[in-house]
Amino acid sequence: VTFRTKLFFVSSLTVAGAVALVTGAVSISARRSFDRMDETRRQGLIREFQRQLRAQGEDLEGAVHRAATSDPVLRIAIEADRPNPDFGAFLDEARAQAEAQALDFLDIVQQDLTVISSAHSPARFGYQTGWLVSPEDLAAGKTFLTRISLTEGNAVALAGAVPVSAGSRKIYVAGAKRLDASFLKSLGAAPGARAMLWLASGELFDTTGPLPAPAKLDAVLDELKRTGKESAGTIRWTVDPASAEAVMALPLQHGSTLLGALLVGTSLHDQVSLERSILWTGLLVGGSGILLGALIGWWTTARVTRPVARLVSGVQAVAGGDWGARVPVSSDDEFGQLASAFNHMTEQLVEQRDRTVQAERVAAWRELARRLAHELKNPLFPLQITVENLQRAHNQREFDEVFRESTATLLAELQNLKLIIGRFSDFAKMPRPEMETIDINALVKETVRLYDPQFHANGRPKIEPALDLAPVDTAVPGDPLLLSRALGNLILNAMDAMPEGGTLRFRTERLDHYIRIEVADSGQGLTGEECARLFTPYYTTKRHGTGLGLAIVQSVISDHGGRISVSSAPGCGAVFTIDLPIRSNS
Amino acid sequence: MRAALSTLDPAQVAVDDEMAARQKLAGAVFETLTVLNDSGEPRPWLAVSWTHDIARKRWIFHARPHVTFHDGTAWEPPKGVITMDDRRPIEEILRTLAKPESAIVSRSPDGTLLGTGPYRIAQWQAKKSLVLEAYEGYWNGRPYIDRAEVQFGRPLRDQGLDMELGKSDVIEIALSDVRREQQRGAVVRTSAAIDVLTLLFEAPRPDTDQLRQALALSVDRKAIQSVLLQREGEASGALLPQWLSGYAFLFPSARNLGLARQMALPGKTLTFAYDRQNPLIRSIAERIALNVGEAGITLKPSFAGPVDLRLATLRIVSANPETALADLASMLKAPMPTIPPGTDTSALFETERALIQSRQIVPVIHMPVAYRLSPSVHGWPEDGWMRADRWRLEDVWIGEKDTP
Repeated sequence: VTFRTKLFFVSSLTVAGAVALVTGAVSISARRSFDRMDETRRQGLIREFQRQLRAQGEDLEGAVHRAATSDPVLRIAIEADRPNPDFGAFLDEARAQAEAQALDFLDIVQQDLTVISSAHSPARFGYQTGWLVSPEDLAAGKTFLTRISLTEGNAVALAGAVPVSAGSRKIYVAGAKRLDASFLKSLGAAPGARAMLWLASGELFDTTGPLPAPAKLDAVLDELKRTGKESAGTIRWTVDPASAEAVMALPLQHGSTLLGALLVGTSLHDQVSLERSILWTGLLVGGSGILLGALIGWWTTARVTRPVARLVSGVQAVAGGDWGARVPVSSDDEFGQLASAFNHMTEQLVEQRDRTVQAERVAAWRELARRLAHELKNPLFPLQITVENLQRAHNQREFDEVFRESTATLLAELQNLKLIIGRFSDFAKMPRPEMETIDINALVKETVRLYDPQFHANGRPKIEPALDLAPVDTAVPGDPLLLSRALGNLILNAMDAMPEGGTLRFRTERLDHYIRIEVADSGQGLTGEECARLFTPYYTTKRHGTGLGLAIVQSVISDHGGRISVSSAPGCGAVFTIDLPIRSNS
Repeated sequence: MRAALSTLDPAQVAVDDEMAARQKLAGAVFETLTVLNDSGEPRPWLAVSWTHDIARKRWIFHARPHVTFHDGTAWEPPKGVITMDDRRPIEEILRTLAKPESAIVSRSPDGTLLGTGPYRIAQWQAKKSLVLEAYEGYWNGRPYIDRAEVQFGRPLRDQGLDMELGKSDVIEIALSDVRREQQRGAVVRTSAAIDVLTLLFEAPRPDTDQLRQALALSVDRKAIQSVLLQREGEASGALLPQWLSGYAFLFPSARNLGLARQMALPGKTLTFAYDRQNPLIRSIAERIALNVGEAGITLKPSFAGPVDLRLATLRIVSANPETALADLASMLKAPMPTIPPGTDTSALFETERALIQSRQIVPVIHMPVAYRLSPSVHGWPEDGWMRADRWRLEDVWIGEKDTP
């Protein structure tokens, strides 16, 4: 992936992230605002419901009070004050009063809560009232919530009680309005709000009709039952998020007994719609922003990376050998400075290379001169001595014999000079390899076989060749004569390094792209400096060496596109490693 | 009336309220060969006389002449006689012939029911209303009232409103309202106690007899009678009322909660059905449930499917104790030996006791039937059980409306 592409993606992601961040922030902020508004609205509704409930309670108190002050009830109170009261005649009074005051329940009870007359359960006379009522409820004169036992189950009601006395004994008139759907409707309803009434018996009333899935209220109601306090939750009636409703449950209790709960729900339809709108707007704006950001990023990155691309081209040109490559300097900024520095650096490199080449050339000539002087000086001294011997023996009787010996010596030394000159000539005239497919394993075996007589020559310590050849195809493109000559040079070099004899190991190995040949002797080994200079022409560690053998090996290997290296340590022998490419580089 | 009649055909089987309501009205339209007087004795009606063969196995009833159906066709049995082969005693045959289902009924080509009674059916809407018109050709003379309309399915409360608004001349009232209506000066007529409120075990169980006794001992009949019925009716443990049998007081009716608790099976729950549309019956049923609950038995109301216990109202349809007991046994689907008239009272007592025990029933209370009349209604019988069982509209006439 190019730097330009990376930069483009980074800039695009930055734009997209920023848009997403802004959209999310706006959405969250809007939701919180709505939640606050909704909470405020819900609290207002609850206060309104509570106010309505108080108003209903006040109406109820008035109705019960009117019933308690009616003549029939007074007559019951008078009867109750008698020694053996007979309430049989008052059986229907509770019903009559309940109808007159529009109450759902009305019981006239004695002090011990024994029923005198009951509107909803006339048969209960003489029994304890079926109302959940405490002495405090009767004494306070305020409305209270109660549970009333009925034949068909329990009812929950808003109740009030008023004592009536015509003498020493009291009776109580207790009236109540049932908490049911009609009661719920009487509380009124605000637009967008829903009032529900849940009773502990499991009944559920809703002002807007049957609930689609009443079981979804369980979580809110369970929390209310567990804590006995207000609970709230968000309920999604259908899979559509717009059906969500925030519901708050207010407990309806008598003392610590939970009788039911008033549930106030406010629709989240508007909130969800606005959040959707924000989301879609955000997506639209975000998408446009991302597209625009991508275009701008593309243009910007193109401009920003253009000097870098030029610099890369320059570097690649230099790497490819074009030392004269230069990068145009088009600005004064960091990229301009970088281009100037690159140009300056390449100029310095060219100068440095030229100087190095010059110095190496001078050093090579010096080394050549030294080597030539050294090589030529050795034969010249015998030549001089021989000529002087001839001059001295000219007038002597043994001249003929001296002449023969001297000329023989002269010829021998001249032959020696010729040999020296021939070696230099050979190095200068190293031929180009003629490539063909050769099997390295076979080459190694053949070369070793050629030198086998020398490994076991009389008068010198024996050298044992050891072959560890890879059992795979080791074919490479190469010149068999040159490679055999190079391998021979390494063998001769190893024999020189093992004057005491030893083992010469040959190993071949197939790598991914190369065939590796290792030639390891068991000689004295080399120092690190020797290893570094070993392949330099005319460098030798031997007394009579020309320093051209390993240089020729390196030249041959290099001409085959391969590489040669040496690793050694003093006393541990030396290992020459040749890597030849399996496919021709040309 | 509160009942909703689906048919006036005397031959059709009906239950409870509908049967009682049909019997009240059918006599105005249809007639029988014999009738029972206020003492429950059979008297000639469409049959003016009867004779028998030597073996007393064949009875020949001589038809009343000049009797016509409401479409004007004459009722003329072949040769003016009706022959019946029946080996039963003649009193029993005559009582059978006096039953409403033995009425003489004909059908017009369009299916209208035709009788020979003083009124003909002018308009009929099942379960809604019935309009009767005086039949000019009635053999016993045209009735006083030209036209009478009966509305069905009217709750007692609505009937009271109708009366207050002057829309009705006769309405039913609850027994619990009798005393209050009388105190208000209203014209109220109550019959003798002809309804027997009874707890019936629907299906026999191994412990039924023990439960029956526990129920009988735990129900506070006196409180029901004095408070819920406002002292109307009679608390009784007998099937036949005291006025009819003379021995009803021998059946124990007092509450003995201690003994009931001993006999009750603690924690026992029985499903319980009653007519919850009737406020008075509902109150009595709830009272019974409360009473029984004190003995450790729970009565759980159930109004669908089979139940363990039912509170039922049985109607006494004869002023003759033997016939009445036989009819009750028939209603209870209990086997009942033939009780000839004039049977010894002690034998009747034993028969009734055996019926109560065998059918596993708990009589609770005997109740009269009460009506409120408009002050302008005249001729409604003052006393006797028949006025509740059959309205004698032909004797009633409407006078001038009283000035309020």
